[in-house]
Amino acid sequence: MSRLRSLLAGHWVALLCVVLVAVLGPVVPGFSSSANLRNVFSSLLPLLAVAVGQTLVLITGGIDLSVTAVVALASVLGARVMTADGGLLAGSPLAVPAAVALMLVIGLLVGTANGLSVSRLRMPPFLATLAVMTFVSGFAIWLTRSANIAGLPEGFRLLGAGSLGPAPAALLVVGPLALGVHLLLTRTVLGRWLFAVGGNARTARVSGVPVERVVLFAYVACAVCAAVASILYTARLETGSPVLGQRILLDVIGAVVIGGTSLFGGRGSVLGTVYGALFITLLDNGLNLMGLSSFAVLMVKGAVILAAALVDATRERLERGR
Amino acid sequence: MRKHAARGILAATAFAVVSCSAPAPEDPGAGTIGVAFETLQTEFWVAAIDAIRSELDARGMTMLEAIADGDANKQLEQVRGFIARGVDGIILVPRDGKSVIPMVRAANDAGVPIVLFNRPPDPSSARSVAVVADNLAIARATGEFLCEQARASGERKKAAILVGDLGDQNAIHRRDGFGEAMAGCEDAVEVVSRIPTEWNQEKALAGVTNALQAHPDLGLIFTSSDFMLPSIVSALRTAGKYHEAGEEGHVILGGFDGDVTAWRMLADGYLDATGVQDVFFESEASVQALEDLRRGAEVPPVILDEGFVIHSGNMEEVQGRMWGARVAQRATRGGRGGA
Repeated sequence: MSRLRSLLAGHWVALLCVVLVAVLGPVVPGFSSSANLRNVFSSLLPLLAVAVGQTLVLITGGIDLSVTAVVALASVLGARVMTADGGLLAGSPLAVPAAVALMLVIGLLVGTANGLSVSRLRMPPFLATLAVMTFVSGFAIWLTRSANIAGLPEGFRLLGAGSLGPAPAALLVVGPLALGVHLLLTRTVLGRWLFAVGGNARTARVSGVPVERVVLFAYVACAVCAAVASILYTARLETGSPVLGQRILLDVIGAVVIGGTSLFGGRGSVLGTVYGALFITLLDNGLNLMGLSSFAVLMVKGAVILAAALVDATRERLERGR
Repeated sequence: MRKHAARGILAATAFAVVSCSAPAPEDPGAGTIGVAFETLQTEFWVAAIDAIRSELDARGMTMLEAIADGDANKQLEQVRGFIARGVDGIILVPRDGKSVIPMVRAANDAGVPIVLFNRPPDPSSARSVAVVADNLAIARATGEFLCEQARASGERKKAAILVGDLGDQNAIHRRDGFGEAMAGCEDAVEVVSRIPTEWNQEKALAGVTNALQAHPDLGLIFTSSDFMLPSIVSALRTAGKYHEAGEEGHVILGGFDGDVTAWRMLADGYLDATGVQDVFFESEASVQALEDLRRGAEVPPVILDEGFVIHSGNMEEVQGRMWGARVAQRATRGGRGGA
């Protein structure tokens, strides 16, 4: 019995996903079709890449609001390098690798700015990452004058639309990323330090944890994950856009919180985030296929994420009361 | 726990593989049309989706609705969802002309006819029909009317234009149409300020406020969309320059779209003219194009809505085709009914 309870405790969101599929499958035409489930999965992967990075930051007790801006800036700079419409390396075999490398470097730089602001300058994570988001978004729009960049090479577009057998090509990127972060959190000293910092930074510091460096790492890793997502989003749309990903923040934080990562730090897992992202994606897809009005879809999603945040807040309050 | 975690990641991977080899989609039946809008944030889009719904209802067709809230990736997912659901056609308002191309291609690959409503795609091999307002011609005609008003005032006016998001072809055409009109009006108007708004009311307000500070004698303002009229009114009121046409100090105002605010301002005498997109024509033409495509008939790749300019001189005559006037009149009737 206790084994069943512990199994459910770790996987209750997965159970919710199964229930959602079981409920919507018979009543929503096309929901269980192979084409739709493939859509769900290809929509899930870029969201999961951002959410995995956000999990690291939330575990340290922080939050990164700048992930959407990283997605946008990496998208336009990467596209500028490789576009056939006058890109810096247009037509060169190095165009795609150079663009992908630049996109990851953007993540590295923005993450470093966030991490240093929070760890060294002691700025509240909310304010620091909000300010960075505003600056970086503005920079992306200024660079492009709001214009999208098309003409991306076929080799790059395959990252978004290609498949290897029955699996989307993006799985080859996001699968190892999620597995790597999972192993980092569960099998390394750095992983334990991340939880320790989020549980109680002062105690962690007294215990010899290099708190500043751990926090810096979390923000850098988070922004690099957002850059990975930017690669996938840009490839899917075949377009570099200065407003790419502008509206995904609620889905990202919702996926992480629904997956059981605490907004108060010290608790979370990649597996939970996988479940949370899957749940959000299934819910979004199912509600749209039901033909509900967009207002109803937004309200249902908002209510679900609010419920998850309330569960988290209640659990935190009860644990503090012990 | 670690075993469970590893099992979970494997399970998620397995889900990907299994999901991609499951049976084919079921057909929901004939006459289901997926309607995907980029946004419903302005009255124009709400009026447009209502007009499309009415048109589909009148033809006994079922409408599935999806709104991407400005997110092109989400819209791609929604289009793919429609295709998986087995819709018979798609009407799409894309975010922009470039990011829509993979969506059109997905519909082409699935053999689902697709009509782009109000925003054209960039050139590509993807096949679609676009029903679009002739933004350039309507904006030019509106600009020419405003030019005549300036000439009639007997003094050379300084002018400002509120430009939309330049990632949107419509914004570019409206800017260019107004520009063409002003190029032939240099004797009566000098354009001194081009305000970038990215379709954002706050930016419009700040931009007009700044323009009025830089040019206190600004005498003509054209907005690329009527939804920014409240920002202009607010800035003019603050500067003490909001006067009816014919009053001393009136700033000549022109717009584009034909929304409820524009209708009320026209009726009250504050707005001189606005270029109207004929939403009812565009909705009817979109649904008709889908039906023709389904029957295998030839449909031109672009269907133009020629629109019209409404001003105090022709209000009585053309108000029935102005969607903002119809929405306002319906709201007034609803208000009376409620009372």
